Amino acid sequence: MNKTFRLIRTMLKMQYSLAGKSSGEKIGYVLLAIFLIPFSGIIISVLNSIVETLYDQLAPSGNENALLGLLFVGMTIVLLFVSLSSVLSSFYFAEDIEGFIPYPFHPYQLLAGKAAAPFINLYVTSGVLMVPILTLYGIHSGAGFIYYIYALLLFLIFPVIPFTMMAILLMFFMRFANIAKNKDRTKVFAGLLTFVFIIGFNVIIRLNQNPEQTAEGAAQLIQQQNGLLNIITGMIPTAYFSTMALQNAKALNGLFFLLLLLALSVGTIFLFLTAGQKLYFKGVLGLTAGSTKKFNSGKVSKKIKTQPVFLALLLKELRIIFRTPTFFMQIVVQSLFGPVFLVVILVFESSSGSIGALGSMLEQFDGKAPLLLLFILTLFILGVNPASYSSISRDGRSWPANLYLPVPAKTVIFSKVMTAWLINLLSIILLAAVGLAVIQMPPALFIAWIILTFLASWFTSLVGTSLDLNDPKLNWTDEQEVFKSRFISLIALLIEMGTFGFIVLLLWNIDSLQSLWMTSLLLALLLTIAIGISHVALRKLIGTKFLKTR
Amino acid sequence: MITIKNVTKEYAGKTAVKNLDLVVPDGKIFGFLGPNGAGKSTTIKMITGILPIDEGTITVNGYDIASQSIEAKKLFGYVPDSPDIFLRLKGIEYLNFIGDIFDIPKDIRKEKIENLTKSFGIYEALDNHIQTYSHGMRQKIVVSGVLLHDPDVWILDEPLSGLDPKSSYTLKEMMREHAAKGNTVFFSTHVLEVVEQLCDEVAIINKGKLQFRGNMKEMKEQFEADETLEKVFLELTSNE
Ligand SMILES: Nc1ncnc2c1ncn2[C@@H]1O[C@H](COP(=O)(O)OP(=O)(O)OP(=O)(O)O)[C@@H](O)[C@H]1O
Ligand SMILES: [Mg+2]
Repeated sequence: MNKTFRLIRTMLKMQYSLAGKSSGEKIGYVLLAIFLIPFSGIIISVLNSIVETLYDQLAPSGNENALLGLLFVGMTIVLLFVSLSSVLSSFYFAEDIEGFIPYPFHPYQLLAGKAAAPFINLYVTSGVLMVPILTLYGIHSGAGFIYYIYALLLFLIFPVIPFTMMAILLMFFMRFANIAKNKDRTKVFAGLLTFVFIIGFNVIIRLNQNPEQTAEGAAQLIQQQNGLLNIITGMIPTAYFSTMALQNAKALNGLFFLLLLLALSVGTIFLFLTAGQKLYFKGVLGLTAGSTKKFNSGKVSKKIKTQPVFLALLLKELRIIFRTPTFFMQIVVQSLFGPVFLVVILVFESSSGSIGALGSMLEQFDGKAPLLLLFILTLFILGVNPASYSSISRDGRSWPANLYLPVPAKTVIFSKVMTAWLINLLSIILLAAVGLAVIQMPPALFIAWIILTFLASWFTSLVGTSLDLNDPKLNWTDEQEVFKSRFISLIALLIEMGTFGFIVLLLWNIDSLQSLWMTSLLLALLLTIAIGISHVALRKLIGTKFLKTR
Repeated sequence: MITIKNVTKEYAGKTAVKNLDLVVPDGKIFGFLGPNGAGKSTTIKMITGILPIDEGTITVNGYDIASQSIEAKKLFGYVPDSPDIFLRLKGIEYLNFIGDIFDIPKDIRKEKIENLTKSFGIYEALDNHIQTYSHGMRQKIVVSGVLLHDPDVWILDEPLSGLDPKSSYTLKEMMREHAAKGNTVFFSTHVLEVVEQLCDEVAIINKGKLQFRGNMKEMKEQFEADETLEKVFLELTSNE
């Protein structure tokens, strides 16, 4: 046991250590924390009013626990997603495992070590979502001391089952992925398959909640206690158990459900370790091998092409992103995640008819409002894309090549900005398709939006690359470290959303400004100014940082 | 020709190279020796522009690496101590990349890639990711990249350490030919036999300071004639 803990500590240290971080980054954390305080205040007050309203509506019929049910169902889905990406990266994409294999550890010990990082992700996620809502619910229901104890215990136990389920599923998939020839590709594919699997799972849940039927049934169900809870948690028993435990915290009944959940969790941990002992090594060992093809003569001349330096650099960047599983997942898949999620939701809503109307609704607005909303949403989606703020760090130990090869620093850096812009293009295309096909955006709005989006994409690419150049993380042993425990993403988002959030708010409130064209012209102008400033800043940074980065 | 003038480098308070003066002449194979941590790689990284120079200047064929970096970098080829770069690229893609950067015409590129990789025995692996290469194969692809653009000045950090005897022989022959044409070959190593076989001149560095510079004959003369090179080396680098 002692050894297992040591292993967990070592593995976590390698990923989360603050050592070697510049003081600039440490100051960044503090600034961030200060920024987040008012922000979280706003969120909590919004949550509070939601919980209050729902509670007051549901309580008379004795259905207030449906709120908890909804929370736990929602949490299950969110936790499944978080588990998917973090298990995949920690268990399979992180290649540090090879460093541990030569030591006498049992697979289950390594598995426990590997599970630590995903668990931190899970607890952070549920800390952000579950803790405030459970607390607010407790306040509104006037719950006693035991409720809070139970809530705390549930916070600790609840993520276990989604995690173990997802991990077992993934280990099973990976066991077979490992047989394939091109392992890098298969690895990513298996990940995507699981992703699709969960979306499918969600779809099934949503289909089972046929809106009309629900509306009909709800009237009856609501008359009986727990009626609503039963349909909400029907698919996910653990959500039901958790709700019942909290609901009956005072009674023995509650303890029974809590213990039941605990027993189940322990059971699945056991199952996870057993399955891991059998499947994990078979899935992960040798998974890092790439494909090997023989090169026969004559083929070489086909593979040789001359390109301008900028294009050569750009292609190199794109190849590395698309071929490195971690980069592919974090950059490409993640940047599509938002749009895809939007599509899934929109398509569902549109089948119930509410979205089809959205297009005509937008048409009626026809002023600046829809443009401003779309703009800020797009800026957010582009802003969270890690393609830009991993620009420099991605190079890792290959970075010195940029220093000894005779390529001007600004060519290198701008090829990276261009790469980020091109990756953004993927989500833009997807969003544009949704805008045209599903929402049926009016053409004028669409054109204004797409021009602004191209500009915004260049802006976020510049900001992200500048931030990364300012303080890159090159000494990683595993690609994960490029994205983990770096708050650079939040800083980028703060800069981008901070400036343009303010501007959008301002434009929104200027009454004399109403027309779509004036607003887009103004936004385009402001974006151009922002781009100009970022260009100057980036060039300054290239001058001061480029040669000092290693 | 590489000229290092009064160069000093510190890492967070610790001096890695101190007041180094060294001229690497043309037409000779120049060996750079020293125990682990002596400052060899640090010096080489300063020559190639990877590390900023704290004090002093370095020029490559007259171009200052700090102020005329692009011109200087066009003149040399560098084999780093660790060949683990661009692992996600295929061998052929890496060579093409180097070809694009140094602007090598297509027909020359094709011919050279074929010749070089065939003589190193990595031709058949060209379509595979460098990640799947062994340590020696990775070294060979990097060396091929350098030879592809045919620079005047070769700077090699322990180029022979992972190579098998045949490839090692091939590379040594290439180094000889290159120097014989009047070019500069500067390489670091620990292996004394290599020094004995290959070098026209050597510099020995220890704890960041130059201990000795001269040709092989001078080196032995400075000590009793019957001493082996190993003894000389040990004596020169012993801690006072
Ligand atoms: N990135 C670094 N940060 C701090 N100190 C460093 C760094 N790189 C090297 N050093 C220190 O500088 C000194 C010289 O290192 P260098 O790599 O130049 O040695 P070397 O002669 O190449 O050794 P080897 O034969 O082992 O390759 C060593 O004392 C080393 O500890
Ligand atoms: Mg060295």
